[in-house]
Amino acid sequence: MECYSEQIVSIFVDGELAVEEARRLRDHLATCRRCRQLLDALRAENRVLSESLQELPEEAASPAGSPHLPWSLGWSEVVVVAAVLALGSIVVGWIDKLSIPEALQWLDPSSLNGRTNLIFNLSYYFAHGGTAMLGDYAAVVGKFFLLLLLGGSALLLGRRWRPRQAGLRLLIVLLALSLPGSALQRRHSEFVTVAANETVDDTLLATGNIVRVDGVVNGDLLAFGESVEVRGTVKGDLVSFAKRTVVSGSVEGNIYNFSNSLDLNGQLGHSIYGGMQSLRVNDRGRVGHGILVGAGDVTIEGEVNRDATLYAGNADVSGSIGRELSMAGDSLTLTNTARIGGNLSVRVRDLKKVHIADGATITGTRDIQIRVRQSHFTRPRFYFYRAVWLAAAMLVGWLILILFPGFFQASTHAVGSGWRSLGLGFGVLAGVPVAIILIAITLVGLPVSLILLAFYLVAIYLSMIWVGAYLGRMILKPTTETKGDWLLALLVGLLILTVIRYIPYLGGFVHFVVICLGLGAFAWQLYRALRPAITA
Amino acid sequence: MDAKRNNAKGPQLQEGKATQMEGPDLESVIERAQGHDAEALGEIYRLYVRRVFGLCRYMLDSRESAEDATSEVFLKLQRSIESYDGSIPFPRWLLRVAGNQCIDALRRRKRGQQVIVEAAEEVAVIEAVGSEPSPLSAVLSREERAQVRDAIAHLPENYRLPLVLRYYGELSYDEIAQQLGLQRNYVAALLFRAKQELRRKLGHRSK
Repeated sequence: MECYSEQIVSIFVDGELAVEEARRLRDHLATCRRCRQLLDALRAENRVLSESLQELPEEAASPAGSPHLPWSLGWSEVVVVAAVLALGSIVVGWIDKLSIPEALQWLDPSSLNGRTNLIFNLSYYFAHGGTAMLGDYAAVVGKFFLLLLLGGSALLLGRRWRPRQAGLRLLIVLLALSLPGSALQRRHSEFVTVAANETVDDTLLATGNIVRVDGVVNGDLLAFGESVEVRGTVKGDLVSFAKRTVVSGSVEGNIYNFSNSLDLNGQLGHSIYGGMQSLRVNDRGRVGHGILVGAGDVTIEGEVNRDATLYAGNADVSGSIGRELSMAGDSLTLTNTARIGGNLSVRVRDLKKVHIADGATITGTRDIQIRVRQSHFTRPRFYFYRAVWLAAAMLVGWLILILFPGFFQASTHAVGSGWRSLGLGFGVLAGVPVAIILIAITLVGLPVSLILLAFYLVAIYLSMIWVGAYLGRMILKPTTETKGDWLLALLVGLLILTVIRYIPYLGGFVHFVVICLGLGAFAWQLYRALRPAITA
Repeated sequence: MDAKRNNAKGPQLQEGKATQMEGPDLESVIERAQGHDAEALGEIYRLYVRRVFGLCRYMLDSRESAEDATSEVFLKLQRSIESYDGSIPFPRWLLRVAGNQCIDALRRRKRGQQVIVEAAEEVAVIEAVGSEPSPLSAVLSREERAQVRDAIAHLPENYRLPLVLRYYGELSYDEIAQQLGLQRNYVAALLFRAKQELRRKLGHRSK
């Protein structure tokens, strides 16, 4: 009789062969030595398979220290979060009677205000909220976060705390230390003033409808308000988020300004930086160093000792600029009284919009050019940069794949969860800058916010990689999971994303969605990676 | 990664098996669990979480997904245990539930499509390779178990799933066919091919 095939014997070994056929095979085995050998080999194979599989692949589940039920875990988390929230809300009410909803209105993207410039809204609402003052608001947010972190860490400590959460612990300690020991002096009311005979020795954080300094601030002045006016002296820098900022006294440092308008009638020791709708340096105004701004309208009637670099719709200069004037924008007018101590360089779209009066003095050279907006696509440099960008993204993707394969793959898969990633990503995209601003002002100060900013930018960059890999895999549908497959998918996905990005209008929208999706997936995976593993 | 995989230590095997309850003890625990006794459910969790997690880990591609699936299985167990009628051993029943959970997860990822699609040419012919002794057994005597596990973890999904369900979950061909939505014959063919692929992989490695 002919021997049975290996597959049939294999099915027999698995005990899955039909009764009748199994009987025939048994009969055959009695006479056929070769088939018996095969049978033994297959049995051994099954045994080794089963035995090998008894252990877990990869990072074997760590032994369950204290067995937790998943449902009780879930509930305990909910309970703790709810408790912390409740506690937080009590604390919020207790610290001050804040009208937080009003202070948060600017976050609402559906409102008219929400749609317009975030920074302006920030200043506008803090100014208009009247009682919802930034100082307390930020302090509340800070304490609230601290509570959340402490509550969360207590919860985490109750479970297994892993060394990789050291960073988080450090952050908690930093937050805890920084909260009580802030060197800021905070003032808030409808009308915040530093009286003429008063001197503030610390940095002053002033929030109110009207902030007016008639006296002296020895540190910096951070001002949020509808109108910020410095009639006295600020020895440090002036950082102003306001609808209208007027400096008629003196600021000895720099002015960092994000206002609707900035008028300088007085003395400024160093420079003006920032973005605003209108900047005016009046004839009594004097800038010790230079100006670097982006603005709708710039008028310089007074004196600027060094360079002025303006990105402006319209610029009128009738005062004097000690060194160079560089301007890019729409139109420039130099009147008879204008004096420019260095070179003049201008980039405009239309030469007719540059008016230089005969009486204007320009000591250096004049370099006036028409700024032609060339399509990127005609420049080889564009393609070179895109190629470099793509190569860099591939390199980054490859590194992550080598170093954190599980994380890479999980993040990519998380993109597929669609709305969750999109929503979460949008939240992160919009929320993190707010957190950065708040932290920069009140909590640990600039270093942490800068770290957060860097992390934020990196996360935005990485979002292209997760989405690229996901898109590539969606298209290629690889059956295997080798690194090569992932990289090929990443390449294909990134190429497609790069091309789509340059489709007019649609490209911008797609790019935005990609960033949201990627950020959301990344945030989700980070959350999961930091959360202690379930006790499996 | 391989190094990590090797960390999977022996004791877990014994732990998994040795602590398994048998007979009346287990029966009473199950009965109590069916009456929504939280303690009994906890006991079941303690006894089987490792095995369930193992199955999920082999079937799904990341630890996170496996953890998710494991929690889902036990989360749903509160209800699903009511349907357990004792006709098959409880561990096997539980692994079948876990297998289903994983396949659901995989299906969701593929937007509702079948996880493994039958390819016509694979079902039909059963080759007559019969005469050669199985090379895998020779390889196995030399290789570490870890290497086998590693090779299994890197098998394509259509081979890995049936193989794991069969030799880890100890499901029958019919059960596997039902879970994956395939014909029984096709399951047999996939298992056979999976083993061949494993031998090929391990054969390469040992050379």
